Amino acid sequence: MHPDLSLVVVCYEMARELPRTLISLSPAYQRGVSSGNYEVIVVDNGSAEPPEAKQFADLGLTLRVLRCSSGSPSPVIALNEGLAAARGNVVGAWIDGARLASPGLLHAATMAASLHPRPIVATTNYQLGFQRQHLSAAEGYDREREDELLRSIGWPGDGYRLFEVATPEMKDPPFGPMLESNALFMPKSLWNELGGYDPAFTEPGGGMANPDTLARACALPATQLIRVTGEGTFHQIHGGMTTSSAALALRTLDQGSRFYLRLRGQPLKPVRKLGWVFDASKNAILSSDGPSEAVMGAGGR
Amino acid sequence: MATTLQDIDGDTLRAWMVQYITTVLDLPEGKLDTSESFTTYGLDSVEAVVMAGVMEEEFRVPVDPMQFFEHHTIDDFVQTYAKPSEQPLTGEKIG
Repeated sequence: MHPDLSLVVVCYEMARELPRTLISLSPAYQRGVSSGNYEVIVVDNGSAEPPEAKQFADLGLTLRVLRCSSGSPSPVIALNEGLAAARGNVVGAWIDGARLASPGLLHAATMAASLHPRPIVATTNYQLGFQRQHLSAAEGYDREREDELLRSIGWPGDGYRLFEVATPEMKDPPFGPMLESNALFMPKSLWNELGGYDPAFTEPGGGMANPDTLARACALPATQLIRVTGEGTFHQIHGGMTTSSAALALRTLDQGSRFYLRLRGQPLKPVRKLGWVFDASKNAILSSDGPSEAVMGAGGR
Repeated sequence: MATTLQDIDGDTLRAWMVQYITTVLDLPEGKLDTSESFTTYGLDSVEAVVMAGVMEEEFRVPVDPMQFFEHHTIDDFVQTYAKPSEQPLTGEKIG
């Protein structure tokens, strides 16, 4: 029997971060979902000591751990291998395994995906700490401080307290321009139609592969962008390309956006279309730039 | 061949920036006020970095994204960095 939902989580050298990420995806932490309804597929992208499923046996997850042998520093091939292995009707792509989920994220994504036959469900990105990590790292924010920050809110006791100690990556989440979503959900058929992530993005971290995926998905015919409010993913600092230092973030964005320009023939830009904004706690679409039946659809199911 | 922004004609640069921002922000043609700050349009820091890169690719001159924050309107940017055009710059709407 196929699960309702598959999550594809890519990791590379995340011995500290991945266990927490998987706790945040576990049935004990996630609300409104049961373990039999979803699977998690971790794809390790070449860690020296790759994770093994047995390490996480006590979490109650339906978990598979795959190893990507591409040798690419980009997570794109690993993601596509995970997408190919996914059995769920809806599949979420988690390009960065260092991201914690809020407790209602999976339930919200599942509900949002049920509102339209061709949904693109985008959740918003946050970073742990009181400013963006490429800035806070210069002021001493590191793994130890982050550990203390998580202890200070008693994580994982109440996962919604992550919002108290995190900074959004976008302006006015989830309503503002959205460059990317690090937990992006679509029906498996739509992922197939999209062709997954574009393997042209071979840079470490994938460069602009994730923004590209969101933009291409939203451009597919008759799709509906659904932004989820009240939930999110929270980045743990781990030496990532856009979060380690201001200089590296700037270089990654600069080089990545130039590559994008050459590849796509147009400049990189965030998605400004609002689409629908879905609040799972109210089971309602709060805002919509689409037809009115969309708003009726949420309450009626 | 241009080597710095000061080698680029002001009108040319101004027209390019108007077209670029109009396209990226999905604004109606002719509605961009060149005396308004980039942030008023909704252009954020990420897009400023992207615009700097595209401008470099287009004109083959170095552009630092910080220049957009130090001179944060099209009029101010062009007046500061580009070669003066024959006609004075104003804050009128284009189009």
